[in-house]
Formats: sequence, structure tokens, C-alpha cells
Amino acid sequence: MKSRAIKQALLLIALAFLPAVGQAVYFRGKVSWQSPIPASESVTIAQAQAWGENAIWVDARPDAEFERDHVPGAILLNEDRWNELLPQFLQNWSLEKRIVVYCSSQSCNASREVAKRLRDQAQLKSVFVLQGGWEEWLKSKK
Amino acid sequence: MKTHILAFTLLIFLAAVARAELKWEQTTADLHPGIGDKQAVGHFKYENVGNTPVHFKSVHASCGCTTAQTQKDQVAPGEKGEITATFNIGDRTGLQVKTVTVQTDDPDPAHATAVLTLKTTIPQLLEIQPAVVYWQGGEEPKPKTITVKAAKEFPVKSLKVTSSNPVFQTKVEQTGSGEFKIDVQPAQTAKAAGTTITIQSENSPKSSYATAIVTAGPAPTPASVAR
Repeated sequence: MKSRAIKQALLLIALAFLPAVGQAVYFRGKVSWQSPIPASESVTIAQAQAWGENAIWVDARPDAEFERDHVPGAILLNEDRWNELLPQFLQNWSLEKRIVVYCSSQSCNASREVAKRLRDQAQLKSVFVLQGGWEEWLKSKK
Repeated sequence: MKTHILAFTLLIFLAAVARAELKWEQTTADLHPGIGDKQAVGHFKYENVGNTPVHFKSVHASCGCTTAQTQKDQVAPGEKGEITATFNIGDRTGLQVKTVTVQTDDPDPAHATAVLTLKTTIPQLLEIQPAVVYWQGGEEPKPKTITVKAAKEFPVKSLKVTSSNPVFQTKVEQTGSGEFKIDVQPAQTAKAAGTTITIQSENSPKSSYATAIVTAGPAPTPASVAR
């Protein structure tokens, strides 16, 4: 009786594994490469706006998108022309300022990459990624 | 009853047979561009292993730095082709993972979307830490040190270092095998100033950069920089 129950339980576990294995195979090429941003490293539009003059806005999108439109006062700093743009950004930076980096939307990665380089390579502190990016900025202006 | 079973079997058979399906040779491309390369290109080959045509609905790259091209809009049964994804390296370094999402009109959602991944390892000849040194306005203009470490596979014997602004002086010293330190010193910190420090090894066509700046204004209090 007991061994029958164990067999049945094992059978049920094996059956439950089938869809899991199927999903793992099916989604193996569809894993998201984006890890969530820690809360301490991201900021909402309302928070960033409340910082006022103490915030420096960094646009991590490609040149063409920046030229089309950007957050007023934002400085262009993308990885396409990092070596050229970083000194220009630093001319506007000072230690007491918080850096708010944004890219196109919540799903884009450029703001995370730029923020990471500012923290790791330039060793700047107070670097934050804007939640929702440019899309969210546009929504907040409607 | 037999008729029902036959009809059901036939239905399953037809559903399985009348299909359009792109079979990808690979969905991940590992790319290793050389030093100084501006682009890395991945080729994703496919074949329509179904018996109805497949149409591409959209091809969307995960970032503005990547473009993807299909050779055709429609793939006939048995036809082969490839999607070419081009990653513009720019000033990026290290491992870069970018994706291209391909959507087709395949009625089976399991096959309608394919995510193609470009994994590009950009060689970094010199590791520079920190890439930025700065002095607060009025701070004593003492030298600050930037360390440079060459990658093991690229032996570097000497560095050429230049400053774009003569206000900043640089001094290079080798500290070990493939390891150097650059002392940077501003002539003054009374006025805001900045310089781009160009670092070039004898065996690389590509330069690396660091930045030194004197910021305007006095040093902030700890409370003003806390979040």
C-alpha cells in the first residue's frame, strides 16, 4: 500500500516535470539579460525632479535620438562616443550633483551600462538610472 | 466511433503537416572582434522546414547600436537564408550582449518569435583605474594616480601618455610587468579646468583615455551628497 503511494507520488512528480522541461527547452534562447536595478540605484521622475538643480541629467541614447528631443538641460553621454563625450559631461559635473541617467524606455539597457561605467570606471558616486526612461518622461509631461 | 477516431487522427495529421516553420542553425553568435574593429557581425542562418511560406513581420534590435537585416520578406518552403546582425562597437568595452527579436507569421506561437543573441567580447588592451581623477576647487594640487594594467595576451613594454591641456602634467612609471602608474597633477585648482589624457601602448593602433578635471566650487559636506 505504502509503496504504491510512493510510486504514485513519483509518477505525479515526473508528470509535473514534463511541462517544466518543455518550457526550459522552449525558452532557452529567450532568457532576459536584464537584471533588475537595485532600488538604491534607480530613481523615479518625481524624485529626480525634486532634486532640482542638484541633479544632472544624462541622456544615454544614440546621438540622433538626443538631437530629436531630450530632457531640458540633459547632457549627451552614450557608449558610441564615450571617450569624446565623457570629458564634456565632466565639465558640467560637480561632486554634490546627483547623476540621473536615462535611455528610451524601461526595457532599454543603455542607461544601466552608462551608469555602471560612471560608477566603476569613473568612480563617480550618486549615479541613478531613471525608471521608465524617456518614455516615462514624455508621459509625465502630458 | 471508428469514423470519429479516423477524423480526429486526420485532423491532427493535417495540423502537423500544414505548417510553416523557420529552423535556425543557431540563435546565439559569439563574436570576438579584433582591437580597433568598428563593427562585429553575426550571421543567423535559417531554413523553412515547413510546407507553407513564412513571412517576416518584424525584426527588432534591443539597442540602437545594433541593426539587423533580412535578405527577403518571404521564405518559401525548403528555402534557406540568413539574418545579418551588425553590432556597432563604438567606445564599448568588455562583454556586450545584444538581442534581435524576429517575428514571423507562423501560426504556432512557439515558432512565431525567435530571439537571436549577439555575444560580443570586445578586447580591452588596457585596464585604466580610475578613468577620472578630479580635484575640488581650492583643493591642494597634489598629484593623483591612475593605474594602467595591460591584458595578459597583449604584452606592453611602454606607454605614451599625453595631456590635452598643459595645465595638467603627467608622469608615467612602470610598476611591474605590463603595469604602470600615471601621476597627474594640475598646476592650480583655483579655476575649473579639464584635460583628456591619451594613453597609447607601442603595439596598439587604438588609444585609451582618462580624464582629469578641477571642479568649480568648494568640497561639499557629506550630508549634501547623501541620497
